[in-house]
Amino acid sequence: MSAPLATHDYTPDGLDAVLEFLKRTRNELRALRRVRVWPDHIHIIDVNKDYFEIRSLGYGDADVVPVLRNINTAFNPQTIHDPVTAQYKEFDTGRRHPWAEDRVM
Amino acid sequence: MTAATALKSSMNEANERDPFNNNSYGTLVDQGYKLVNLPVLDVNDFNERIIRGYEEGWGERDLPADLTVARSLIPAGTATLRDFSNISPEIPEYIPENCTGCMDCVTECPDTAILGKVLGEDELEQKLQTITDVADREMYRKLWSKTKKYYDAGKKKHGQGGMFQIIIDPSKCKGCAECVTVCDDDALKMIVKTDKVMTDARKSHRIFKSIGPSNNKYISDSLLIDMMLKEQTHIYVGGAGSCAGCGEGTALRMLCSATGSKFGDQWALVAATGCNTVYTSTYPYNPYLVPWTNSLFENAPADAIGVRMRWDQMGWQNKPIWCIGGDGAMFDIGFQALSRLFASGMNIKVFVLDTQVYSNTGGQASTSTFTGQNTKMSVHGKTFGGKQERRKEIAQIAMMHPRTYVAQTTCAHVNHFYKAVLGALEFDGPAIVVCYTTCQPEHGVADNMAGDQARLAVDSRAFPILIYDPRKGEKVKERLSLQGNPAVKDDWFKNPKSNEEVSFIDFARSEGRFAKHFDKDGNPSETLLWAKQERLENWRLLQELAGLR
Repeated sequence: MSAPLATHDYTPDGLDAVLEFLKRTRNELRALRRVRVWPDHIHIIDVNKDYFEIRSLGYGDADVVPVLRNINTAFNPQTIHDPVTAQYKEFDTGRRHPWAEDRVM
Repeated sequence: MTAATALKSSMNEANERDPFNNNSYGTLVDQGYKLVNLPVLDVNDFNERIIRGYEEGWGERDLPADLTVARSLIPAGTATLRDFSNISPEIPEYIPENCTGCMDCVTECPDTAILGKVLGEDELEQKLQTITDVADREMYRKLWSKTKKYYDAGKKKHGQGGMFQIIIDPSKCKGCAECVTVCDDDALKMIVKTDKVMTDARKSHRIFKSIGPSNNKYISDSLLIDMMLKEQTHIYVGGAGSCAGCGEGTALRMLCSATGSKFGDQWALVAATGCNTVYTSTYPYNPYLVPWTNSLFENAPADAIGVRMRWDQMGWQNKPIWCIGGDGAMFDIGFQALSRLFASGMNIKVFVLDTQVYSNTGGQASTSTFTGQNTKMSVHGKTFGGKQERRKEIAQIAMMHPRTYVAQTTCAHVNHFYKAVLGALEFDGPAIVVCYTTCQPEHGVADNMAGDQARLAVDSRAFPILIYDPRKGEKVKERLSLQGNPAVKDDWFKNPKSNEEVSFIDFARSEGRFAKHFDKDGNPSETLLWAKQERLENWRLLQELAGLR
């Protein structure tokens, strides 16, 4: 992959800063496709395979859960922190609200 | 035709609104209107007067209620004159140097908006020399690629390599990005529509249609995915009114291509009311190049029986008839007519667009709906967590009818899909092909996710694929093949990257229609755990029937 379109360095207790980074820069990516989570960084990837990188935050950290939720990732919070032999964990991000989901006939 | 319209250029020619004539008949090569020899339908008048009225925005207000309008007959392929250039802010861009010629993008596009062509190196050069504007010629030349599949293999086989091209039809693309998503080679990306981008796209598409068809010697008939390189397979033209990324659109296109590859336009469709009939007959636009009829929601199979009987009387036994409908029409409301069709033994093929919900009427539950799914009429609330019944399995029911060919497939499993459809066509009796089709607004997934979700539905045992061919033997296990499902002998497939099992819970987690089943910690509800067990039981039953347990 080429260089990330934007990067953010996570610091402990820096969850709000990560979410603010995503809110501020989100429109630089197109429709999100998937997320790759390493032990020490995250790639948020769009349909064009352009991506953001969040450094120093990995699947072992508690703050990874709200970050993944923020970008609609289909992941299991019960197993997200478990170590894996693979290089990284990969999840899809295409979930949306169904049409008129709160309308009752 | 009025005097005013007679003075204007034809809708099938360049005009002020369509300066490069992108909205014109023919998908890969230019063609004239598809005329019919009927006293009740004047195709020239329809396209020049009625289509023009709708394209220019005055049709509904000013067209007189004459016999042509009142009959609501629509000629074949009128959707090709419809312009969708301005409905999306983005369009795919082709990157030839990365392309491998896999044809996935062409196959999976729901709107016939991404097209392929292959030509010998010399003949391409000759055609390029006919482009008088040097800048246009060089711009167009850059859109051809040398792939291993067509160039290297072609050189070995024919002494000269085949040059391959993908082109975007900017008048039909709805910007769903499905093509970009299915491309594993980074040969497509979404870009913003600027004036220059659109002018180049329109010019390229115009030249593409003008330079003639592919050279057939570079197209292998044994490679099913290459069938869309031939004009005769483009029976479903662009311009249908389906949602961006509609899984049904792709399914219908692929069905039409497979049937067109064998029978050209000598076959017909009988459609049950549903989304499919709305977006393929929104007056005055029709994407089909074959005869199509729509009766009622519940009686398409009965209607098809009638058409079959008449065609047989006319000596047209060899012309196939596809009866199409959604899960509402085939699992529920038209089920008795469907069962009667199977029992008749007649040579009619049924194609089910299984979205697991009544998509057209706003998302009510059908018997195809998955357990736990949040729909209108099975709303997720405090008392009930979505649908509380099991999903009905129409494929298993169809197998138990006398001598009926049955397949269950998805568009993401391209070879399986084509084999299922071609097998149904070859079978000398009733056949049904049930196709998983993503409905983006009802499933709660992004526009580019039709293929991804169809694949996950199979991987997670939500929707196993199968082919049941009564000709294969006397025993059920000889007739039923589960080939194409991952880890076919196991309960669950394990993702090779994570080594974690992929279950119905993972499928549900990825779609908005099941979102309310997960608590704040991500734990699935009791209903969803039961749904997972129910899907496993269904899978084990299929394994047992196929002799794998």
